[in-house]
Amino acid sequence: MRGKVSMVIAVVLVLSTLLAACGPKATPTPVPQPTTPPAQPTTPPAQPTTAPTTAPAKPAPEFIEIGASIPLTGKYGSLGSQVKAGYDIAVEHINAAGGVYVKEYDKKIPLRLTVYDDESDPTKAVSKMETLFAEQKVVAYLGGAASDMHAATTAIAEKNKVPYLGVSFALYQIHQQGYKYLFSPFPKSPAQTRDVFEVLNTIPADQRPKKIAIFQEKTDWGVELGKMWTENAAKYGYDIVVHEEYTPRSTDFSAMILKAKAAGAEVLLTVPAPPDGLAMQKQMAELGWTPKFTLMIRAPENVSWTETLGKVGDYVTMFAGWHHGEKFPGVDKLNADHQAKFGRPADLLTGPAYACVQILADAIERAGTLDRDAIRDAIAATNMMTVIGPVTFNPDGTGNVLNPLSQWINGKLELVWPPEHATAPLAYPAVPFDQR
Amino acid sequence: MRAKRLAALAFVVLVIAALAVLPLFVKKDNIINLASLALLYVALASSWNILGGYAGQTNLGHAAFFGLGTLLTRFLWLGGWPLWAALLVGAVVPVILALIIGAPAFRLKGAYFAIGTLALAQVLNVTVANRWPMITSLPARYLATYRLMPRYYLFLAVAVLTVGVAYFLVKSRLGLGLMAVREEEDAAESLGVSGLRHKLLAFGVSAFLAGLAGGAFAFYHVGYYPQFPFSPAWTFDAVMATYIGGTGTIVGPIIGAVFYVIVKELLALKVVEAHLIIFGILFILVVLFLPGGLLEVWSKIRSALGGRAKSRKAALPAG
Repeated sequence: MRGKVSMVIAVVLVLSTLLAACGPKATPTPVPQPTTPPAQPTTPPAQPTTAPTTAPAKPAPEFIEIGASIPLTGKYGSLGSQVKAGYDIAVEHINAAGGVYVKEYDKKIPLRLTVYDDESDPTKAVSKMETLFAEQKVVAYLGGAASDMHAATTAIAEKNKVPYLGVSFALYQIHQQGYKYLFSPFPKSPAQTRDVFEVLNTIPADQRPKKIAIFQEKTDWGVELGKMWTENAAKYGYDIVVHEEYTPRSTDFSAMILKAKAAGAEVLLTVPAPPDGLAMQKQMAELGWTPKFTLMIRAPENVSWTETLGKVGDYVTMFAGWHHGEKFPGVDKLNADHQAKFGRPADLLTGPAYACVQILADAIERAGTLDRDAIRDAIAATNMMTVIGPVTFNPDGTGNVLNPLSQWINGKLELVWPPEHATAPLAYPAVPFDQR
Repeated sequence: MRAKRLAALAFVVLVIAALAVLPLFVKKDNIINLASLALLYVALASSWNILGGYAGQTNLGHAAFFGLGTLLTRFLWLGGWPLWAALLVGAVVPVILALIIGAPAFRLKGAYFAIGTLALAQVLNVTVANRWPMITSLPARYLATYRLMPRYYLFLAVAVLTVGVAYFLVKSRLGLGLMAVREEEDAAESLGVSGLRHKLLAFGVSAFLAGLAGGAFAFYHVGYYPQFPFSPAWTFDAVMATYIGGTGTIVGPIIGAVFYVIVKELLALKVVEAHLIIFGILFILVVLFLPGGLLEVWSKIRSALGGRAKSRKAALPAG
């Protein structure tokens, strides 16, 4: 009996291998499906404003192929799903209007987005990027999430000379490699380390904190932020009274908390991963040290922060890159569609991801061709309004974008800076933990 | 018998020749990339199999040697060393580490040895993460001349070397000693076979080949955190590939690695949402119903065709 079962299993294995290998060739990427059904739109695509004087030189492709390797599973899965949602909705919106007008073909062509799951593994991401290039022949890549994934995927984009638009990474180092095809409309470390002092300077002088504690994570981003915070503190006239390092996945922060408490630190600047940030905040409450102002990038960006900590998690601020309360054109429509799909307004990374597709569509239209180098040059020359606000790019591919500050207030994530977009004023100073 | 050997040799030469000319006919980088990864996994699984399959020592710290090879080769190569010299250092240093930790580690038996080696890899993983937290990316000037073909040939050379070393080791007197130690160490010792010496030798050879594979990976990969190759996933991937193919055999890790890499990738491309679940189920089925690995399929077919007794014996798991 067991022998027969083994035979059956063997046959199943062979068949599954063959099945996996033999995809239908007529549709190059049966799975994943394009985010918008490739069916004909119910209404004809809008015609260009100027009538063509000559016939197009070559037949237009059915789709403009774009692709992304995104961590949909693994440790960055929660980030990747936010990014994917932004791409999907943006492609839907653009295709609902007929697609992107390409002058070379004198018609609007819908976008077809192919997304692969790289399992939060940079080696698998490289494979997916090569497949998108060789099989889907993408004219542009959209990025995934997290610095190390981008470090791998941007290098492949550079190697293949395909323009790359990515968000969900603030690490500045990636932009210092001399890459020409990388563009990121997302706030980077220099903005995050400068703007925190701009925010502190908005506090009336007689209430403004002066003494700063930095809890620096021993990671590339932690080191980068720690260095820049130190430089900017000196520039803006703040005193760093404690600058401690810790290893990721630490569980005991009591020594550095007590040191900051003893030094009279009023501000905490740190960038912990979620489990570390939760432990840090709990231990601060237990040890009775309440900074008047806390900037904690990354850990508090998920709703689990307030679900886990309750009132202990309040008053913490973060630079998350975007907030669904921003008052830019298109945000309402994005929020409405996200609400319909997922039951909540757009997530923090969804807006910047949506903006990537807006920027790409605009660049293709201005380039007037699907030539990758022309699209790359058009992206570099971007100057447009998106759901994350006005966007231009620097020569190193970093975007000049808004860097909003959010804060947990009464269990709700509010946008508190800049004031023209604020959904609530900055809650300052933080009420001591034992009085909440 | 001689004719059979000649046929087997001809087949091996044919396979290597086919792999050598593959990039001349296949121009798509994704195919060459996938073939490169399959060869990397052949090297990783075969090197693990030397200690795990033939010496019967379940080493869960294989990633430590792979990672060390990657770390050293990458830094030396990007630091201006010739690639061959960087590869050599990346292969030799893991051997030294294996010999240093081997002597005390082999005092541990069974699960304790496995846990001990896993702990070693984790210590190195955390240490490297703390010491070198910055991503190692290839600068644009390297990418301007980056081609997959030389990486592919390096992986091919490492895989052929690994399988070749494993083959000749197993066929030698030392290999027989290894298998004797695996089957019953006390009995082997009573016959004058030194358990510790044989296990140390297997550990050293396994570490050398894993370090070399790590060096090839360092030359191949465009950007990653230095601690990434120290991740336990590299060990478990090697173990899974070996078990899928068949432990304690030369061909098993090759088949297992190719199956593991290619089927997993194809599933990831074709069934994005559920590929991990499907592959997990496939792995469970193999472990449950093909304890000798995929090699057992061949045995089943031969049994069905009539050579039942002989083939069943040949395909039984060695461990």
